[in-house]
Amino acid sequence: MYGWIWRHLPGNAWVRAVLSLVLVVAVVYVLFQYVFPWAEPLLPFNDVTVDNQ
Amino acid sequence: MAATTDTEHEDTAERERDAARGRGRRAGRIAARAVSVFGELLITAGLVLGLFVVYSLWWTNVVADRAADKQADRVRDDWAQDRVGPDGPGALDTRAGIGFLHVPAMGKGDILVEKGTSMKILNDGVAGYYTDPVKAALPTSGKEGNFSLAAHRDGHGAKFHKIDKIDEGDPIVFETKDTWYVYKTYAVLRETSKFNVDVLDAVPAESGKKKPGHYITLTTCTPVYTSKYRYVVWGELVRTEKVDGERTPPAELR
Repeated sequence: MYGWIWRHLPGNAWVRAVLSLVLVVAVVYVLFQYVFPWAEPLLPFNDVTVDNQ
Repeated sequence: MAATTDTEHEDTAERERDAARGRGRRAGRIAARAVSVFGELLITAGLVLGLFVVYSLWWTNVVADRAADKQADRVRDDWAQDRVGPDGPGALDTRAGIGFLHVPAMGKGDILVEKGTSMKILNDGVAGYYTDPVKAALPTSGKEGNFSLAAHRDGHGAKFHKIDKIDEGDPIVFETKDTWYVYKTYAVLRETSKFNVDVLDAVPAESGKKKPGHYITLTTCTPVYTSKYRYVVWGELVRTEKVDGERTPPAELR
């Protein structure tokens, strides 16, 4: 999988390394900004109130 | 170099063996690729889970503290410029906080208190007073009742992280624009069901109180890093102090 991505990135090793880094940052950004905030309320870690639900 | 007589027979045998080996090698290669993709997926899943921990315990604090600081600054600004009092003139912005909670047992610093206990409010790194299922009685109203609050134990500012450091007798101070409300902790419930809404009652019977009074209730989740149970701390109003020009804190906070 990662090998496949690496092989399909353009440029020489340096360019690929930089592009990989950009991809990693993009993925982390999407996770932190959208995926985790969406997933968090669905997980039972952070309910602090007492209620009747 | 090879002998010329027996070669034909040997060649075919060798070719067959090579073909078989090639087929085996190809199957092996596919299996190896499948295993490696599966392995990479597992590694990815592990990294994502690790990142989620980083997100929960660090990043949400960064975001929440930033939001809380901004909102707290706005409240302090409004107070300083006499724009919006808790019951004062002007449009009462429900998004703005109503005051600050000081609990020396949980460390220095103040916790902004806002209306409501929805995740949207609490995720800004503030404490919220209950509007549901039991409506909190605000100390500023002067009426008897229970000023019930909730805040996060971990992540999102983790304002009640050290709630277990509060012992009976410890002060809990609520600061509004012009009054310090000094409460004293009188009961701690270290673990209760998350459905136990009775702890929010105007007269919280479980704390041992029978008569109406000015109570404060802090709730959060326990044990740390989970939401299995709720942790409850009760306090009772001891006295109030007028805020002076320098906003000198009451003796309990000095």
